[in-house]
Amino acid sequence: MAKHATPLLDKLESGPWPSFVSDIKQEAANRNKNPKGLDYQIPKDCPEDLLGVLELSYVEKESHWKHGGIVGVFGYGGGVIGRYSDQPEKFPGVAHFHTMRVAQPSGKYYHSKFLRDLCDIWDLRGSGITNMHGSTGDIVLLGTQTPQLEEIFHELTHNMKVDLGGSGSNLRTPEACLGQSRCEYACYNTQGMCYQLTMDYQDELHRPAFPYKFKFKFDGCPNGCVCAMARSDFAVVGTWKDDIKIDQEKVKAYVGGAIKPNAGAHTNPKWGKFDIQAEVVNLCPTHCMKWDGSKLSIKTADCVRCMHCINTMPQALHIGDERGASILVGAKAPVVDGAQMGSLLVPFISCEEPYDEVKGVIEKIWDWWMEEGKNRERVGETMKRLSFQKLLEVTDIPAAAHHVKEPRSNPYIFFKEEEVPGGWTRDLDAYRKRHQR
Amino acid sequence: MAEKDVVVDFLKSKSASKSKFYFKDFQELFPDKGPRDVKKILTQLVNEEVLEFWSSGSTTMYGLKGAGKQSQAEGEG
Amino acid sequence: MAFISSGYNPEKPMENRITDIGPHKYDEYFPPVIKKNFGKWLYHEILEPGVLMHVAESGDKVYTVRVGGTRTMSITHIRELCDIADKYCGGYLRWTTRNNVEFMVTDEAAMKGLRDELNGRKFSGGSFKFPVGGTGAGISNMVHTQGWIHCHTPATDASGPVKCVMDAVFDDFKDMRLPSPVRIALACCINMCGAVHCSDIGLVGIHRKPPMVDHEWADQLCEIPLAVAACPTAAVRPTTVEYKGEKVKSIAIKEDRCMYCGNCYTMCPALPISDGDGDGIAIMVGGKVSNRISTPKFSKVVVGYIPNEPPRWPTLTKVVKHIVEVYAANANKYERIGDWAERIGWESFFKLTGLEFTHHLIDDFRDPAYYTWRQSTQFKF
Repeated sequence: MAKHATPLLDKLESGPWPSFVSDIKQEAANRNKNPKGLDYQIPKDCPEDLLGVLELSYVEKESHWKHGGIVGVFGYGGGVIGRYSDQPEKFPGVAHFHTMRVAQPSGKYYHSKFLRDLCDIWDLRGSGITNMHGSTGDIVLLGTQTPQLEEIFHELTHNMKVDLGGSGSNLRTPEACLGQSRCEYACYNTQGMCYQLTMDYQDELHRPAFPYKFKFKFDGCPNGCVCAMARSDFAVVGTWKDDIKIDQEKVKAYVGGAIKPNAGAHTNPKWGKFDIQAEVVNLCPTHCMKWDGSKLSIKTADCVRCMHCINTMPQALHIGDERGASILVGAKAPVVDGAQMGSLLVPFISCEEPYDEVKGVIEKIWDWWMEEGKNRERVGETMKRLSFQKLLEVTDIPAAAHHVKEPRSNPYIFFKEEEVPGGWTRDLDAYRKRHQR
Repeated sequence: MAEKDVVVDFLKSKSASKSKFYFKDFQELFPDKGPRDVKKILTQLVNEEVLEFWSSGSTTMYGLKGAGKQSQAEGEG
Repeated sequence: MAFISSGYNPEKPMENRITDIGPHKYDEYFPPVIKKNFGKWLYHEILEPGVLMHVAESGDKVYTVRVGGTRTMSITHIRELCDIADKYCGGYLRWTTRNNVEFMVTDEAAMKGLRDELNGRKFSGGSFKFPVGGTGAGISNMVHTQGWIHCHTPATDASGPVKCVMDAVFDDFKDMRLPSPVRIALACCINMCGAVHCSDIGLVGIHRKPPMVDHEWADQLCEIPLAVAACPTAAVRPTTVEYKGEKVKSIAIKEDRCMYCGNCYTMCPALPISDGDGDGIAIMVGGKVSNRISTPKFSKVVVGYIPNEPPRWPTLTKVVKHIVEVYAANANKYERIGDWAERIGWESFFKLTGLEFTHHLIDDFRDPAYYTWRQSTQFKF
């Protein structure tokens, strides 16, 4: 018998999509049964109280959580988010219900041993409810009480050799696409760069000293599966400089229908037979391709590496060999001044270990932003306030036409004094000799 | 005055109105130091249990340990 | 309950403390075929919805079976995933950035057994535990935030509306009939801790009432300067008010400046913002993050407000499903929703979908607004 009646939530158990309500109920049942005979360190009925407080929200259409500023473990300024129920008497099991963020391996590959060990810690010391994963990419352990925070941290670090992730005004847990581990489009080792930078910047991740949050994301190619350009202050997006490699025999196989186009991603019969002219050549955004009936050619100088032709014929076309990445800076969600997409700062950078070139750019941006950024200002907003030119100046990157979609359409140019012959100190007497008042 | 005392005295002088401050507020106490050096001072104070962090989740602030109304309101103080 | 120590000594927090060790290295949990062929993959093919085959230069093949996962997940469920990974995949599995779970095997027959077993498991309530799908020109899993299950400033739930929307578009999770992939995401308030601002369909919780001020408790619960500093639009200021005959320190809100972000409530529980009648969801469409064909773009608001209708959010799911169907019937192959809307013009988008265009949909927020107005005589009647 459930502790709380949940008639509204019960309506979320039907339908085909996996039901989180059914799942929380099975955890509640598991804790009631306690098959491992655990001495639960937080209330046994917290999954039931979680359903109870959520049911109340479904009745009232209002949240019952309060934020807590507790950040958890000693010496760290992030990794724990404090949560309290505003109905603690009705739902004592979730009166205190803090979240812990655990650092995920980049690419999110796991072995069941790791996950089972984590589940065992969370069974004993937490609610048994998680997020796999949070928005930034961490494993989120959802719901425990303050005295357990250090205990969990101790067991994570000593027994599982894994650390907490970031929250607050610091480097957030970096995230990468699965990259070269299972994708032919990856132009660099996204997981390698993500891991190395995460390790090199542990202090920035755990001890907040930035004006606001700062996110790295690493996409292996312009398809952008981890949304680096839209979601991270510092986006590293794989690209290449030389020719797309073409296997003409395979192109013919696509044209002849021997290979399914677009890696089989389109199954609707209404699209009909593959038409290379209409589906690839004509859709190329720069019209840099030609198909003469037997040979596909690409004018590399005009190619902007949008990936469409490669995505459409992955067996015939392959990314070039002169590989690296573009860096785009300043993406953020809308609050306050509207959403921003990352702006291109470095058109091409080498991505070889130990990634010193990339780190050089990062550290110059941090030094500038930590000095000039206002409280709660993302670096994208600092850029808007102080200009893109300033970002170029502090990162020692020369201005190039790549940096803009178009040049400015106003002539209000802020020249520096040293850019003008003779500077700004002028001789009025000499002027007056030429001009009457 | 020792650097750590500058931080503690600043926090005590403000304690009537505000118990938590952004990192940048401390930078202003040390106009000759870069942010990384200021961070070292604050980190040391955190490790000595003089200061503690407070986070809104999206931002983080520093304050004297146990100070302020929030820790009482959270019932953890 | 007897407190069980991990070995941590609260008297000496720095004793034997391990810090700054970061995550496990990414290749620690690679299945052998992944480890062997790292950086040497040649091409891939989607064999059927939810099943991928990657072929390496070595000739090795890896079959991936992708299943939808709920972001909010119990350890009982994770242990079941582990059991399946142990049975078929040597214990290895991975998660995608869209909350899907992937199992990898090297044998086609094993893939089929694995696929069928995953499709066969159901919760006692009737829903699938591990539905196979989410690939290609279909609708993959939604990314989302916490909502009423754990957030303090949500304007809607997250897991619930996601369940309802995914139920409504489930056929497209299992199929690839659409012109292009459709990425749906939900953020339970405008802060968008799960950024949804570049999704094909972005659902965003919105508050519509400024916070209330609890004058009795404001000065007792909160440090007023912190609440003032938290406001991104300078709508919060300190004040003194008469409360029950006494002058008390409190807070005043300049209501026409408030953008309902809830940041002040984060700092001060005496400024509650949630409101059952005021809160709801806006629908944004046409965003993308990929650089494929067209450049990345933001989603645009096409429905300003839909009330919260728990437990099944019928209006929301109906509108989302309708947008998907109109798009499916009208867009060209390879066109994302935003590409299609731009090609036909947004006035045609509203005509085709029948969605009502209201004044709420015209941008009036600071400088960028002007650039969205029409400075041209080119438009469609």
